[in-house]
Amino acid sequence: MLSYILRRILATLPVMAIVALFVFSLLYIAPGDPAVVIAGDQASPEDVERIRQSLGLDRPFLIQFGDWVWRILHGDLGTSIFTNLPVSAMIGQRLGPTLSLMTVTLLLTIVVAVPLGVVAAWKAGSLVDRAIMAFAVFGFSLPVFVVGYMLAYIFALELEWLPVQGYTPLSEGFWPWLENLILPAIALGCVYIALVARITRAAMLEVLQQDYIRTARAKGLGQGGILFIHALKNAAVPIVTVIGIGIALLIGGAVVTESVFAIPGLGRLTVDAILRRDYPVIQGIVLLFSFVYVLVNLLIDVTYTLVDPRIRY
Amino acid sequence: MTDTIATTQPLPAGLVIAPQLPELLQPVRIRRGIIGFLRGHPTVAIGGALLIVLILIGIFAPYLGTVDPTALAPAKRTRAPSADFWFGTDVLGRDIYSRVLYGARVSLTVGLSVAIFASAAGLAIGVVSGFVRWADGILMRFMDGLMAIPPILLAIALMALTRGSVGNVILAITIAEIPRVSRLVRSVVLSLREQPYVDAAVACGTRTPMIILRHILPNTLAPMLVQATYICASAMITEAILSFIGAGTPPTVPSWGNIMAEGRALWQVKPYIVFFPAAFLSVTVLAVNLLGDGLRDALDPRMAKRL
Repeated sequence: MLSYILRRILATLPVMAIVALFVFSLLYIAPGDPAVVIAGDQASPEDVERIRQSLGLDRPFLIQFGDWVWRILHGDLGTSIFTNLPVSAMIGQRLGPTLSLMTVTLLLTIVVAVPLGVVAAWKAGSLVDRAIMAFAVFGFSLPVFVVGYMLAYIFALELEWLPVQGYTPLSEGFWPWLENLILPAIALGCVYIALVARITRAAMLEVLQQDYIRTARAKGLGQGGILFIHALKNAAVPIVTVIGIGIALLIGGAVVTESVFAIPGLGRLTVDAILRRDYPVIQGIVLLFSFVYVLVNLLIDVTYTLVDPRIRY
Repeated sequence: MTDTIATTQPLPAGLVIAPQLPELLQPVRIRRGIIGFLRGHPTVAIGGALLIVLILIGIFAPYLGTVDPTALAPAKRTRAPSADFWFGTDVLGRDIYSRVLYGARVSLTVGLSVAIFASAAGLAIGVVSGFVRWADGILMRFMDGLMAIPPILLAIALMALTRGSVGNVILAITIAEIPRVSRLVRSVVLSLREQPYVDAAVACGTRTPMIILRHILPNTLAPMLVQATYICASAMITEAILSFIGAGTPPTVPSWGNIMAEGRALWQVKPYIVFFPAAFLSVTVLAVNLLGDGLRDALDPRMAKRL
């Protein structure tokens, strides 16, 4: 098993290398002269030249790439064109809010989506099942900012139950922190909940047809025990997999959610960087998120082998 | 009079003509044609009808009581919805009704183009990696790498380097969608290659291009069509997100995303600026998703059972 885990870790290295190569070569793939585009319409030729030099666009591709990778391996993501601060420092400042938002959303999704999927599979074909699946289609179709504005309008502006916008760090208390994250987490989690609920239902439907479920029922186990202990445990692999894959949705959605709810996280930083055409910052954020995504999915893969003794490689 | 003999002659003893049997079972009505298909799959009908209405709105936007969607009227800024301005006006006095209707063009163009381009590219890459063994490893490692970048972020990174235009938005979202399609096509191709009829064709000496054309491509069509609708839906959402955060269509081209972006600063006092494009976007995406779910149930029953 240890050799499998090692092999799995080694297998992610080429993926990360390709991600790095791709994120780096975006500058070259893009049509037109990136230095001119980044400098903007009002830039003087000197500005363009300064940007070209700061991005290293005046040197050969491979040398630049090697240099860039070397610096990244030392934790240096480059320097922002706009603020002249190191990108890693800028990202570090904004990490807290985004991490909080994602954690709350992830917990909310698991707590809501898994039971929904289990109930839908248990009552397959019934009105409850249809209602849950209809909700899943809607959840999938409503863009995150639409849900965000709707929730903010109803629960913050009209009912005044929760704050409209903003963020309070966890260090200032648990409730002030959570209060600001409830609406964003629901908005961001909508698509994710729909996805996880659908997969949970599908996986549970398959497991519920197995002989051991009939045995469990025959020996008189209660419905709850069968569903949540026997069935859910055996349906866990596809569910955990989709939770891992869905993190990509969370990352993409966070950018928008943070704009809607004015949360000063990495999403806001991304949007600001786009408006200022601060490419090193965008590059750093994309690289960071991609690595996080790959690592989370690696972690999930490795966890299977530890948790589920049936999986042997 | 020969034909009456059978009835006039007495039957031999012990033989009786069976009485007309009553119809025990209702005859199975086989629904045929497009109408029959639509009645059998109501989600396809609802999704398709909604989508057709929206496409018509996009095409005929200039004739539906709209004014120039980019015409500024500083005197009539942020008017609430009324008989004159059905959806109100925005910060620059532009008519939101006109902007939303013209915005349908951008959303639908982006959605459909991305679905077509990403499917075509994904089909080509998937078939090549399914048939050319040495290319498979390289292509799929590359796709793995591309897939590791969350699609919206990939599109954002691409857009940050180009000038905002509808064409660039389509290109950026297509690149972000290709890896998933390629993976799907590859897995379908690999399972089709194991089919007896492909073995038979190989045994007959059919050349590979012919096998691909005759046996592989037609069988990838159904899952591709389903996938293409989902790509269309996600491309429309991605376009709106890109435009919303200022990395999508330029401000001169009204799209649902940038109408919402312009209403963002005022949404607490003038929620209708955000509401109308949001409603249209949601309905459009819902229509496409319904169409996709219906097509999946109709074309791919095995998959439908799993989901």
